[in-house]
Amino acid sequence: MLRKLLKHEFRATGRIMLPVIGILLATSVAANLSMRYLLDNDAWFLSMLGILLLTAFGFAIGGVFIVSFILMIQRFYKNLLQDEGYVMLTLPVSIHQHIWSKLIVSSVWFIVTALAVILACCITAFDITIIKEILQGLGELFQELRKLQAYYAINGTAITIEMVVLVFLGLVAMCLQFYSALAAGHSLPTHKMAWSVAWYFGLQFAFQIIAFSLIQILDQINFFNWGIFHPEIHLDAMAGIHIGMAMMIFLTVVHGAIFYCITTFFMKKRLNLE
Amino acid sequence: MLWQFSGDAPIYSQLIEQIKVGIVSGVFPPGERLPSVRDLATEAGVNPNTMQRALTELERDGLVYSQRTAGRFVTEDKAMIETAKRALAERHITAFLDAMTRLGYRREGGIKMLRQEITEGGNGDVSLAV
Amino acid sequence: MSVLQCNSLSKRYGKIPALEQVSFTIEPGRIVGLLGPNGSGKTTLIKLANGLLTPSEGEILICGAAPGRATHGLVSYLPERTCIPTWMSARQLMDFYGDFYPDFRRDAAQEMLQHLDIRPDQRVKQMSKGTREKVQLIMVMSRQAKLYLLDEPIGGVDPATRDYILSTIISNYNPEAAVIISTHLISDVEKVLDEVIFINRGQVMLQSSVDEIREEKGMSVDALFREVFKC
Repeated sequence: MLRKLLKHEFRATGRIMLPVIGILLATSVAANLSMRYLLDNDAWFLSMLGILLLTAFGFAIGGVFIVSFILMIQRFYKNLLQDEGYVMLTLPVSIHQHIWSKLIVSSVWFIVTALAVILACCITAFDITIIKEILQGLGELFQELRKLQAYYAINGTAITIEMVVLVFLGLVAMCLQFYSALAAGHSLPTHKMAWSVAWYFGLQFAFQIIAFSLIQILDQINFFNWGIFHPEIHLDAMAGIHIGMAMMIFLTVVHGAIFYCITTFFMKKRLNLE
Repeated sequence: MLWQFSGDAPIYSQLIEQIKVGIVSGVFPPGERLPSVRDLATEAGVNPNTMQRALTELERDGLVYSQRTAGRFVTEDKAMIETAKRALAERHITAFLDAMTRLGYRREGGIKMLRQEITEGGNGDVSLAV
Repeated sequence: MSVLQCNSLSKRYGKIPALEQVSFTIEPGRIVGLLGPNGSGKTTLIKLANGLLTPSEGEILICGAAPGRATHGLVSYLPERTCIPTWMSARQLMDFYGDFYPDFRRDAAQEMLQHLDIRPDQRVKQMSKGTREKVQLIMVMSRQAKLYLLDEPIGGVDPATRDYILSTIISNYNPEAAVIISTHLISDVEKVLDEVIFINRGQVMLQSSVDEIREEKGMSVDALFREVFKC
């Protein structure tokens, strides 16, 4: 069943995301061509066109991220909490499957958007003299870096991967925060959207207070300086960073899990369609 | 086949009446296979259970019979159809006479008007085989 | 086993009671009218049967089970409004129903759509309001469900569409399933019903077969309704 939900969710979102990404890639080609042929042109209107196309490209990058973000929110409330909810929530499918299908599809589009933007930048930078010089410089830098020890290379890569995972999980937790605000806000009979916005900021505020208090408590018990009190355990800086990253990842997962539970509670027990 | 229903009598008894009219008037000729209960119900715009009940009653009366796999058929007994036709016609006649009496016409007056209506106006090609 | 059973079912929104101690049973093969004025609790009852609301007290059972994922597969629901996604085409809509409901009869749906001259690639948002309602009805009636819940299927449509809807309901009749039609337009629907349940202010006032009402009270259900719910 989850696969079927994913199929239809991709159909519903793809019809918006794919054209938007298409526009992004088209403007990147236009930006590339304008940088190569239009900018230093004698004809002033061609120069102007070049600048406009470059600006369009800039807007397209922003636009793609904005569309992806708004689509994530809109899909959830439009498909599950408004009229379509009458069809969706009477399917032989559990609430968990509904939430996961929305989460997975949103995550996939975030990743695709990021990759598309990278691709678009590569296209824009294709065969441009300035960029070529920068890349050459970077290439020389990498040559130097490779002479460093494998230790830093491996750890560097590991930390990069950990950062990517953390950002990704952070995005998922952010989605879930929006979902729980929407689910909670729409459980009321009137002013559903207004209540959803209120819930969002309420949750945000609540979590900031929890996080702040947590840090204070941990600081009191010398959590952050435990290494000093246990000198027999030899940890170098790298291990410390990895542990730190692991903890951040863990906390983000807990953060997301709490919102997941809030969302499920309101969708199961406090559903109020109409 | 024009299906019409009024609000006072149960629908199944109105269905019985209207199917009888269909049979005696030749819409459902003798020996003809009747449409399925569901098709008849859809045509008449009524609940299939109600249609089933009406058809069961007609079976009991003998105007209709069912063959297990082949379906329901109108009886071939022309005499029975004639009797049913007469019974329906008699009811209309009694109703007509009652209505005329209520209007204040006496029996002969009503019959005279009826003869006039047939010969002068109305459907010139109506032949009453008495 | 009865298709739908309510045992002392109550639902309150905060302090406001929507349903109060409702108990009745519906057997397979019946087409039942859930009749009552606006705000009498008909929609609340249907939402409870669909699992879109949870009871405050009592229970509601579909083929013996409480509403949930399993009963969703047994119930085919026609909401009051058109709720199908508007971006879909007729074909994608059939894909959707076919994917989630094993009992969806695609050939029956296709035939009914063709009958209405609806092309498979036509998008729902391009259709007129009446056509959209018919399409939603076709999807719902093309399922071979155990319980059909039709919430005000004929309100707000023209008489020809009304006839089409009622005719579709009759021609899809299944002796192992039950159909519940919730409406306040009784005279149009009366001929199609086996039984009626009168509901007012969240309470069941009467449950009887249509024939019984006509025989015993000598009036149509429509007339009885007007009498019972006189303002």
